[in-house]
Amino acid sequence: MKDLLFIDPGHAFGVDNWHDPFMQQHFHFIDMYELEHTDLTPFKAIIVHDFVDQIHLKAHQHIIENYLNAGNIIVWSGHLTESWLPGCAPFTPKTIVQFSDYNISFVQPHPVFDGVTTDDMTLNKGVAGFFARGAHLPIPPHAESLLTLPDGFVTTYIDRHSTRGTIFVHAGRDLFAQRNQNKTTDRIHTQLLQWIYDEHAAIGGRHDA
Amino acid sequence: MRKIAVIFSGNAPHSVTFNEPKYKQYINELIYLPKLAETDLSDFDVLYIPSQLNKRMLLANKDKIIAFAEAGGIVCAFGPQPWEWLPNQKWEDRETNFWWWLEKGADSGLRLTNPQHDLFSNYLTLADATWHQHGVFWPVDGADVLVSTVDGGAVLYVDKVSTNGTWIITTLDPDYHFGSYFMPATERFLDGFFPWLANGQL
Repeated sequence: MKDLLFIDPGHAFGVDNWHDPFMQQHFHFIDMYELEHTDLTPFKAIIVHDFVDQIHLKAHQHIIENYLNAGNIIVWSGHLTESWLPGCAPFTPKTIVQFSDYNISFVQPHPVFDGVTTDDMTLNKGVAGFFARGAHLPIPPHAESLLTLPDGFVTTYIDRHSTRGTIFVHAGRDLFAQRNQNKTTDRIHTQLLQWIYDEHAAIGGRHDA
Repeated sequence: MRKIAVIFSGNAPHSVTFNEPKYKQYINELIYLPKLAETDLSDFDVLYIPSQLNKRMLLANKDKIIAFAEAGGIVCAFGPQPWEWLPNQKWEDRETNFWWWLEKGADSGLRLTNPQHDLFSNYLTLADATWHQHGVFWPVDGADVLVSTVDGGAVLYVDKVSTNGTWIITTLDPDYHFGSYFMPATERFLDGFFPWLANGQL
């Protein structure tokens, strides 16, 4: 039994995930409309994709909150338009005046982005803007900031305080799609996977302390 | 002015695009996809079906959408279509040409094949429909191809022969890109497309 749950929007761009060896090896897929009918107890983390129906998640936010408060992890990549995720503010797009407004910077080193260069996150074949174009502001109190756009737009953070679990937020496309591009961002999907397992073990220690 | 219903997926890009006031003024109703099966469509002239809808929900409503067209309705369908639900659908998936504009002597590969059509003589230019393509359609005989690739694949076409209604079908996905704050041409496309859909000559 796989212990990571992938909430599948069932959209056209997601077809490749249904056949991708990495995704199929590590994640149990459910259609997003099956969430309320799924026993979540076997899963250490739920991966929520940027194309998900957020009205549906909002309608079932108690499931999300209970899951987190049981000491589990939500990884959300996307633009929040409905308030289904504890502590997460609505997405604010960044005003783009010049290409450097898309520049990604590290706030601090983190294992998910170990060995990944900011240039490889900022640029795709020389074009900026694919990785992140805004942020969820303000980020929750005591959240750990990982990556920013200029002017303090924290695109990526970890929140261990809004619930008894851990919420990983990235204001961009699905971080598990960062693979097979032949650049350092290819490290993200496997490092994020390992971080989930390390973090889940740490949550247990957090509550035992 | 035609009465337009838009199928609404609840995803972030659609929330942004279809709640944008300059487009919302043309939308009589947003129909939340999980409610489509129980929604009476008889009051509407146009059913706008954006890209990236949930496969199971979309296919569950296939017969309802076709019935709407058979009753004389106008159906617009956007984006790549990896599963069968359009009438006489022949979709060819292709690698997305994200980077065509970086090449020397850049050519998008798109051609305007019926420039006299009202959509492209009064509302849009080819540049407004140019960002990238995810594939092409090979439409039924009798369909009117408005934008094609250089090898003749349809990127935007109008099909008035497959049903009693009108199908406006395109591989383009402006609903996604505008609502995700990327690809400026997609805004110009929607700026022209919605007024044409409401008032133009189909």
